[in-house]
Amino acid sequence: MRLLLVEDYLPLQKALAKGLREAGFAVDVTGDGEEGLWYAGSNDYDVVVLDLMLPKVDGLTILNRLRSEGRQTHVLILTAKDAVADRVRGLDLGADDYLVKPFAFEELLARVRALARRAYGAKAPGLEIGDLRIETPEQRVWRGKEEVHLTPREYALLEYLALRAGEVVSRTDIWEHVYDFNSEADSNVVDVYIGYLRKKIERPGRRPLIHTVRGRGYRLESPP
Amino acid sequence: MNRSLKWRLLGWTAGGMVLLLAVFAILIYVAIERALTRGFDDALATTARAIATSVKQNREKVEMEFDEQEMPEFHRAKRPDYYELWQDDGLVLKRSASLGEHDLGRDPGTEGVPVFLTETLPDGRPGRAVVLRFRPGSEEEHDGDSEESPASKSASPAEQVILVVARETRALNAQLASLRWQLALAGGGTVLLVLLAASVVVRQGLKPLGALAGRIAAIREDDLSARVPLDKMPAEIKPVAARLNELLGRLEDAFQRERALTADVAHELRTPLAGMRSTVEVALSRPRGAGEYQQALRDCLEIVQQAQGMMENLLALARLDSRQIPLRPEPVRLAEFVEAVWRPHAPQAEARHIGFHNRLAADLTCTADREILAIILSNLLANAAEYTNEGGRIEVSGRAAPGAVELSFTNTGCTLSAEEIAHVFYRFWRADSARTAAGVHCGLGLSLVERAIHVMGGSIAAETDKGLFVVRAVVPVLGDRTDEGPKKEGES
Repeated sequence: MRLLLVEDYLPLQKALAKGLREAGFAVDVTGDGEEGLWYAGSNDYDVVVLDLMLPKVDGLTILNRLRSEGRQTHVLILTAKDAVADRVRGLDLGADDYLVKPFAFEELLARVRALARRAYGAKAPGLEIGDLRIETPEQRVWRGKEEVHLTPREYALLEYLALRAGEVVSRTDIWEHVYDFNSEADSNVVDVYIGYLRKKIERPGRRPLIHTVRGRGYRLESPP
Repeated sequence: MNRSLKWRLLGWTAGGMVLLLAVFAILIYVAIERALTRGFDDALATTARAIATSVKQNREKVEMEFDEQEMPEFHRAKRPDYYELWQDDGLVLKRSASLGEHDLGRDPGTEGVPVFLTETLPDGRPGRAVVLRFRPGSEEEHDGDSEESPASKSASPAEQVILVVARETRALNAQLASLRWQLALAGGGTVLLVLLAASVVVRQGLKPLGALAGRIAAIREDDLSARVPLDKMPAEIKPVAARLNELLGRLEDAFQRERALTADVAHELRTPLAGMRSTVEVALSRPRGAGEYQQALRDCLEIVQQAQGMMENLLALARLDSRQIPLRPEPVRLAEFVEAVWRPHAPQAEARHIGFHNRLAADLTCTADREILAIILSNLLANAAEYTNEGGRIEVSGRAAPGAVELSFTNTGCTLSAEEIAHVFYRFWRADSARTAAGVHCGLGLSLVERAIHVMGGSIAAETDKGLFVVRAVVPVLGDRTDEGPKKEGES
């Protein structure tokens, strides 16, 4: 899941980016409203975590601009303003959620995950493809009764494919949703990670879950 | 009770009325008493003259051709009148039958002018007497020329006689007593009626005060937007209500500022708290190496230091607001002091290639409170260090003025409009709500500077000119105000 974090208070930005990356998100970070607006407008983020008081362009303006451009990105507002009027205004401008500082990081994570799931029409916290089971809150994966241990990046890739199970997912899509701007700029990396993932979840003698669709991308699908 | 306006008004009204009525009653009484007494006296004098005309000088003898029977008042048994006639030498010529062997008081009198006296009559009754000294008419000159003969005869005082006629004043006294009663009753009644009327009038008149009190009582401390309507107020109370409305307005403003400040403080504290909480929670979310924990702790320390800086600014502001800081003036060498205050900001500025120019004369001193001066200088310099553009310039200059030192702080890279400049001293105001590194300054710095300057009795102003942000501060020389030479070496 690709996430944009727009927060100008550096210590908070740093901690949130670290925590979210560890939770498997591909996180782009900026502390500047203008830059945030540009990022959000030029990438297809699954979730945007947006502070309201920002230099140059404030959060509500960014939100307003995104919605007027017709972008459906899920936006979680993060702010120190706790007045009801502030919350109402944020939600009315098209925010999907609202969190008042200071907050528990776990709560932020849970809300962000919920928003990310909803981006793919899923509401249940677990995903099942055949006997492959993904528990998104804990980021744990089982193949049958056997738990599969994945790195955060591998998990992110699997979760993205699982959320779009049955669809052909292009390398570009994967690149855009699983990797952030700081990732190695090599599109080959997607194929490499698909290889890692296959090694861990495919079982010999059973029909594969990850299918390569030549020239288009990959598809995660349970055997019929 | 005497604190009540109503009773005080009634008391003054009653007192005033009693005094006025008493004066009036006394005047009326005296006038009527005089008139009645004059009437009484006139009647007495008429009787006396009637008797006097009957007194005749017949050669050496004075005779009285007067028939007492014609005037029964002189011989009746009950409440008789009296008369007595003396020769000038004291010899009683005649007395009324009512007198018996008694005498009336003999007054020398004045010839031709009746003299009236208040007397106790021989039988003890109160009375008045008239004394007539006159020359009895002579029988010979009855038809003669009166022009010449009296002149020759007046030379002999032996011929003069004294007539005293006395009459009781019981009726007169009774009349006067009744008058006194009437006046007292009328006066008392009037006072009572006036008091009744006044109490109604006062109650009516004080009604707007009661209404005002009701309005004031209805004002709650959590809603100061209520105002007393002035349109139906009497002119006397209107100024009170108007002042009250002004006071309410000021209170409301102060409360709103206070509320805004509390909200701002809460807001500013939430951000570092959120940073610290997330840092700690993320650090604890999984097992990590020592290096990562150390980094998390360093991050937390940085946040705490920033938050502490803000708290200290807030506290200093609160203390300056309530004037809890006593001023301790001492001579401060400004150039050195500015250098020392700048030192902590120097690394940050150098990293951004900002040039710092301290143009203060080395011997420029100012007698000021070192601590408050430090608040002013450190906040101004911190502000400059933060907002100056990369590669820009900060300049501090100053000069001695009579009784003060004028300092000016200039930095480049100002993007504020003249309109925005007007807000820089407001608490928590920040240009475009920008906070590059929230916490330390968070819009408090310049308002703190302004308060500190005011506490020292100085003034401060900010202006912008072609990208330059200029703050001019006038720092008064505290204590020894006659010493106009902050440039002087003498450190008194």
